[in-house]
Amino acid sequence: MENEQKNLLREFAPQLERTSIQGYTWIIFLLMVIGVGIYAFLQQVLKGHEVTGMRDNVVWGVYIVNFIFFMGISYAGALISGTLHLFKTAWRKPIIRMAEFITIIALLIGPCFILLCIGRLDKLYFLVLFGRIQSPITWDVIAISTDIFGCFIFLYLSLLRDLATLRDYELLQLPNWRKKLYRALALGYSGTPEQQKRLSRATDIMAAMVISIAIIVYSVLAWIFSVTLQPGWHSTIFGPYFVIAAVYSGSAVLIICMWVFRKVYHLEEYITEKHFVAVGVIMLVLAAFFGYFTFSDYLTKWYGSEKNDELLIQLLFKKFYWPFIISNYVGVLLPLIVVGIAKFRTITNITLTSIVVIIALWLNRYIIVVPTLESPYLPIQDSRPEWLNYSATWVEWSLTATGVAVFCLLFTLASKFITIVPVSGLQGEENKEDVLI
Amino acid sequence: MEEELNNNQKNSRRQFLKKGLIGAGIVVGGGLVAAYLDTSATETGEKVKVLTTDGDIMEVDKGLLKLPRVSREESHKGIPGRKFVMVIDLGKCKNARKCVHACQKGHHLPKGQEFMKVYLLQDSEKTAPYWFPKPCFHCDNPLCVSVCPVGATFKRSDGIVLIDNERCIGCKFCMTGCPYSTRVFAWKHYPEFDEDKEPYSPEASSPGKEGTVSKCDFCPDLIRVGKIPYCASACPMGVIYFGDVDEDTVTNGTETFQFSQLIHDRAGYRYLETLGTRPCVYYLPPVDRQFEVDRGFGDLEESVKERYKDTPYSKKNKP
Amino acid sequence: MTQFTLMKKVFTFLVIFLSLVSMSLISANTYAEVITDSTNSPAESRLMLTYLCSTDSVTLTANLGIKKGETIFALENALVEFTASNSTTSHLLIKSKTDQEGNAVCKVASSGLPADKDGLVVYSVKFIGNNKYPGAESSFNAKPAKIRLFFSIEDSLRMLKVTATQKNEKGEEVAIPKETVLIYIPRLFSLLKIGEIALDENGTGTMEFPKEIVGDTLGNLEVMAKIEENDKFGFVLGKNIINWGVHKQYYKAEVPSRELWTPIAPLWMIITLLVMLAGVWAHYMYAVYELIMIKRLSKKDKPLF
Repeated sequence: MENEQKNLLREFAPQLERTSIQGYTWIIFLLMVIGVGIYAFLQQVLKGHEVTGMRDNVVWGVYIVNFIFFMGISYAGALISGTLHLFKTAWRKPIIRMAEFITIIALLIGPCFILLCIGRLDKLYFLVLFGRIQSPITWDVIAISTDIFGCFIFLYLSLLRDLATLRDYELLQLPNWRKKLYRALALGYSGTPEQQKRLSRATDIMAAMVISIAIIVYSVLAWIFSVTLQPGWHSTIFGPYFVIAAVYSGSAVLIICMWVFRKVYHLEEYITEKHFVAVGVIMLVLAAFFGYFTFSDYLTKWYGSEKNDELLIQLLFKKFYWPFIISNYVGVLLPLIVVGIAKFRTITNITLTSIVVIIALWLNRYIIVVPTLESPYLPIQDSRPEWLNYSATWVEWSLTATGVAVFCLLFTLASKFITIVPVSGLQGEENKEDVLI
Repeated sequence: MEEELNNNQKNSRRQFLKKGLIGAGIVVGGGLVAAYLDTSATETGEKVKVLTTDGDIMEVDKGLLKLPRVSREESHKGIPGRKFVMVIDLGKCKNARKCVHACQKGHHLPKGQEFMKVYLLQDSEKTAPYWFPKPCFHCDNPLCVSVCPVGATFKRSDGIVLIDNERCIGCKFCMTGCPYSTRVFAWKHYPEFDEDKEPYSPEASSPGKEGTVSKCDFCPDLIRVGKIPYCASACPMGVIYFGDVDEDTVTNGTETFQFSQLIHDRAGYRYLETLGTRPCVYYLPPVDRQFEVDRGFGDLEESVKERYKDTPYSKKNKP
Repeated sequence: MTQFTLMKKVFTFLVIFLSLVSMSLISANTYAEVITDSTNSPAESRLMLTYLCSTDSVTLTANLGIKKGETIFALENALVEFTASNSTTSHLLIKSKTDQEGNAVCKVASSGLPADKDGLVVYSVKFIGNNKYPGAESSFNAKPAKIRLFFSIEDSLRMLKVTATQKNEKGEEVAIPKETVLIYIPRLFSLLKIGEIALDENGTGTMEFPKEIVGDTLGNLEVMAKIEENDKFGFVLGKNIINWGVHKQYYKAEVPSRELWTPIAPLWMIITLLVMLAGVWAHYMYAVYELIMIKRLSKKDKPLF
């Protein structure tokens, strides 16, 4: 293999071979969080959904918010790595694998949150056996399974060369079973021109597919809400709105992942400020789009002032005031300021902005789902406080934390399985570099 | 020696078979007698005192009329040649809530679950408030049926929309699909569900099951024995009329009217007509009211009165 | 122990066990709580008899109650006897037991009842009584009345004419004057009242038949004329059928339609879904094919490094 690759591998191999004390501590901490989550889940199974905060009017709460949130994150890989691949941008190379891992892992976790919301899990297979095509949930089931499969193929295609490289690296100090695994998964790839041609053709096709599937999946998710008659949901803009919000959240998570791995694995040489600025610019553009769609949606609701829209907006500005401000003002303006103004454009600032953006987007999903359900056409006339106002219980919060913990855990394990920065092709077939801002 | 042993065995076998047959006969006979005497029917909780000729006073449950229940497959087919409709007279409603309680008893619902809900509505600032009983509207364009991913809820040929508990996976999409907040969810297993020992039928919507959705069903099990739903017969003011729109007749148990004439004379309308769901429950506007709105607060429990404390009417009339 | 002896023991045990179970089931399945009426407070028996005369049958309903103090209890399982008699003879019609609501019903054909020449029949019902409750008796003198309905069209108006008659001492049918006859159409749950006719001295009355009444799919209407409970002749019922109804239109669509809420999806939905799925998975299969080819190629070439 080329010297370049060998040098890179020599540098990266320790990531795979050894885990530091901090690494083990981190994993144990995550397992503890997941343990609490399992306990919470058992509570829910044994005592019924009454242990959650959901009641007859707000039937979808934190679980569905998490579902939309994680599905949204999965767009990091789908759209960012897919689009960047098609545009053949050179700087994408170090971060592309992270993006694809984010996609797959988020796609595995997201649907689990729907399962938490389903009343009778033992009847889940009815979705396949008796699925009705007219139902948006069936569209969602079909779309998500197609998406998982497609993203998996896309990830595998991008891992193939590195698997081959790892297979051929003699100095690798890993248990035998792992070496055998690499050999099996590498499919005998050896970099011949014919194989390279096939690989790049397949990757091109899958990149295009992954982009279109991602858009369809998220639109279907948006239509689950917008085809109902609920005031606040019955909005024509929901399809594009959700897609943009999803890619936006995906880019923010990508920045956070870049920062974390850069710190933990000392990848300062490969993931530079240029990358942060590049993804930051993507985030900025998406923030502008996101702000535009949000503004458009609320402007039409507010101006037309249909009675239930008015009620909803009042609710948003009274009871949900801070979530609304954070998600729709701070979440839009902060990236514009931080990435737009050269003085603020540092790695730390961009990462901090991403964290705020993630929180803002979670809150955004929350104020899409919950306030509408709290202001239906027929007023909720009930005396029980938990039926009038939704407030998530510890079960829901601990399962949310579990979702995040599983995400981190799977990501950590993935980074131990294969180098988080691609080794092959890092010097690239293309030598021209994109000029950035 | 061996032959003797064999014979002994044969004899004992014969004896055993005889005894066995008699024993089996006793068991079967006992079972038959037990089944014949088994009158454990659906209890409504309402007791009636009856004197037997021996001078014993018996407390018998009023609802011993065993309502026949059809199978799940059969419940998908509507009662042939019928299309059911309900008319609710808002001019007579005074929130007596007998409809709510009768429905809860008839369907074995816990106190917190109501298939028939009574709201205190006021359409706008200067219009008059009124009590608004709301069952399921059994819409002709049912959004809840359209969005169900597994086909657990369905619309029959007689217009009734039912839910099959066995098929429901509890995703609650139908609850968000219904703009009238009609459906209720069983957030846990309520002990009232255990009162019903009959096999489940979608037409009875009972016994309920934890983790599934349920709603007003227009009581098809009562219709099949020629009775109108629990709410209609329980209302002391005769507010709720029920009937077949094809034969143009609705009745509240005491009065019977031609549906078209009733709607025409009393200007009947449907709630939130512009949503396009085409509901099958018509309302007669509260003209020439029999009662003032505050009669509706009369005998209510505190927890029920609490419900209406945020309505414009209550806020205006704060003491 | 041989296998056979073991089987015997098991079987005997099962028989005993199951018998015990069924015995307990019998006792456990009484639905009623039994409290013995041990007080000796005076009880009064009340027996009420209702008489309904249809065209060719007579229905008698007896309701038996026991008044103790202020409350009246229905008496169940009491034996009551229905008799029909005239001035000369008496026939026992039926003996039946009261049900849980204290009702016992007797329905007989009108012909063959012992009637006087003017058609008077005395119906009575009797409760023998027992050591706890006194007996009771109730009777009703009935002269069967007949209501006939006639339909006609006069001056392009649809008219319904009703006549009520009764037999007199000579056995002739004479008119019953000055009664109110209610006109109904039987519906699914109840009777729909469409009019009221006051009979004149000749026992006849007419009314205009209302338009716009829905009948069956052929337009047939069953019209019922009823004299409500009356001391002289109880309930009287007469029926007739006329084709003056509006033809009933059924709501159900002729063919099972394909809508959002029907079991079968609209065709365009199914086609769109299949086309999209086929398109996407075709691409996936192509990518997988390329992977397979990569694997195949590797077997042919040796690794370059």
